[in-house]
Amino acid sequence: MMSFNYFVAFFFIVLGLYCMVTRHNLFKVVIGMSIVDYGANLLIVTVGATNGGTAPVYTGAEIVAGTVFVDPIPMALTLTSIVISACITAMALALVIKMYQHYGTLDTRKIRRLNG
Amino acid sequence: MSNFPILAVMALFMGAFINSLTGRRSRRVGNIVVFIAMAIALCLMLALIPPVFIEGQVITYWMGGWAPEAGWAYGIGLEVDALSLFFGLIVTIAVMVSGVYSFTYMAKDDSQVNFYTLFLMLSGSVLGLVLSGDLFNIFVMVEIMTFSAVALTAFRNDYEGALEGAFKYLVVGSIGSMCILVGTALIYANLHTLNMAQMAAMLPTQHNTVLVLAFGFLFVGFATKAFLFPFQPLAADAHAVAPASISLMISGVLTKCGVYGIIRLCYGLFQNIDTAAVQYLVTGFGCVTMFVCVTMAFNQHNFKRLLAFHSISQVGYVITAVGLGSALGVSAGLFHAVNHTLFKGLLFLVAGAVQHETGSLDLDGLGGLSKKMPRTCLLFLVGAASISGLPPFNGFASKWMIYQACFAKAGESGNFFYVLVCVVALITSVLTLASFVKVAQSVFYGQLPARYNDVHDCPAAMRAPIWVLAALCALLGVFPGFITRFFLKPATGAALDATAYADQMLGGSHAASAADFQLLGNWSPLVWVVLLLVVCCAVTIVAVSAKKGMAPVLEPAPLAPTDREDVCVAPENAKYEPFFSGEESEYSQVGGSDLFWGFKENWRKYFSFWHRWHSGIVNDYALYGVVALAAVLLYCLLFV
Repeated sequence: MMSFNYFVAFFFIVLGLYCMVTRHNLFKVVIGMSIVDYGANLLIVTVGATNGGTAPVYTGAEIVAGTVFVDPIPMALTLTSIVISACITAMALALVIKMYQHYGTLDTRKIRRLNG
Repeated sequence: MSNFPILAVMALFMGAFINSLTGRRSRRVGNIVVFIAMAIALCLMLALIPPVFIEGQVITYWMGGWAPEAGWAYGIGLEVDALSLFFGLIVTIAVMVSGVYSFTYMAKDDSQVNFYTLFLMLSGSVLGLVLSGDLFNIFVMVEIMTFSAVALTAFRNDYEGALEGAFKYLVVGSIGSMCILVGTALIYANLHTLNMAQMAAMLPTQHNTVLVLAFGFLFVGFATKAFLFPFQPLAADAHAVAPASISLMISGVLTKCGVYGIIRLCYGLFQNIDTAAVQYLVTGFGCVTMFVCVTMAFNQHNFKRLLAFHSISQVGYVITAVGLGSALGVSAGLFHAVNHTLFKGLLFLVAGAVQHETGSLDLDGLGGLSKKMPRTCLLFLVGAASISGLPPFNGFASKWMIYQACFAKAGESGNFFYVLVCVVALITSVLTLASFVKVAQSVFYGQLPARYNDVHDCPAAMRAPIWVLAALCALLGVFPGFITRFFLKPATGAALDATAYADQMLGGSHAASAADFQLLGNWSPLVWVVLLLVVCCAVTIVAVSAKKGMAPVLEPAPLAPTDREDVCVAPENAKYEPFFSGEESEYSQVGGSDLFWGFKENWRKYFSFWHRWHSGIVNDYALYGVVALAAVLLYCLLFV
């Protein structure tokens, strides 16, 4: 079960990188960046997960023999990482809108005035 | 004392918020807030010099008082050893210079309050990165750094290409951020800690495939932040379009984060720099970077884009020296890192001054500005001499150490690879000098175009920060022994002695061991100063006593086609004939870009290959990044 999660996480990362490399539409490049981030987030959550574990919240009732908590630190890391990737996506989309106004196209092959 | 690091970081972040609140009403109040924030950070870093560098302490601070228990770190810690403080000092000094320069340079831009808020966030994140002792904290700081750097690159978004450069930086930079995150997650999966001291204590004893992959991911992540070889187009695009003070930050401060990360990774965390495979990896990356970038700089026609390629080329020197794995190599790398910030910052600020006064950065359009901007020209010459490694400036001192480190390594190991590295380093230095001869000819000497007749020198408030950098360049060049003794030796010791770092942090015994290294030959800077003075005297005597008619003064190229027949005469000087044979009646002036015409002609296949390689398409740059990541991971799996 867990190994399947790792497989999907790296599959997402590779898929996102493939999207960034092959798609020539600016929006699709941004979508590729997001997919990479989803893969990384899934990887972190999987690192902290335990089969049959419950949420790491102490209410007193959970503390019985045989209860397993999942690792809380990767969850905190994932939340931070999700917030950061949302900011990055917003920034990238803002840049895409300004670029569309400036260049009149969304094709990456035409937006290459800085080259050589 | 122990809360100084967090206060320094928070001063910059709080400055960003207070500037947002107060700067909207009055720019003057905002500027004062920015200055105070930068000054507090700088003073706190300076106050840490005696305990860290002289007494050899490691300053630790646990956020929220979550100190480690039973040798296991739970909380988030800030750890300042000599290596962190060395980079912290570089960062705060560069931030101070860049901020003070911006007050005048950005004075005519609108929405300056946003500029300074982002600027202080960038400064705070970089300082937080080098002082942090927590790997995930480093990732967060890297993201804040990338975010604010991208926003600042696109700050003048009506400037040609600013949006494009920022977008490419964001997209390809996100590959690097992802690599750091994945590397952190993989290390956490094995060790269940994020604290770097804890990792330094545990990692060297463990060796499995996942940790090797984590090393590969983290290396590529920090290489992206240092703009090493396949990532250098980002730096070139971002530098060329950003405001000059931000170019200083990107080149002098952001690349240092990557360098710091690579040093911490190879020496502190994994401590695998002793293995030949890691040495080949790091040195190889640095070597390729310095050679490719310096040759790319040859073809540039934009002042700041050219400087950007040189900047990455010099970072290549730093990484090459660091990858040698010897004490001499590390200290040479650190010395070149600080020198790189100084001379590169100086050159970017000079480019900014030229842009501020003339409104242009086009090397083919500028010329003869030494008559109009003599003080700026003098500062440029100091920077050019430093970066080209001419004595008695600092670039010579650190490059000399790098050559010695390569030479010693080649001698010790008897490996032909390091001989090659030494040769490439020397050739790169020569090409750097050649390239700056071209810049000097294009911008400051040669004919003054008529449209720049009423240009004057930049304001003194802009020159003052440049003078500070120039003075530091000269001082570090003339007294390299001082910085070696008080700064480089402790920092090198901290880099090489990772167990002391871990012990101090986790409350174990502190085993002090000073790094010991010897220079091969001794050089006396004062002799070089005397030589420089003699040469200057000789040049002055020749210039003063020169008779008229020694060299024909070429007429400017004709503009109107009607009077072409009268003015178009071939120069009677035969020395240009090999280069400019052809139509005899065609007039040709030797411009800055033509100086190395023959060299470029012979190497045209090489140059055109790299020209096509830097295609400007973001997908291509992402592809190079992915290929580099795949190659490094494969290399690590096979050899490390």
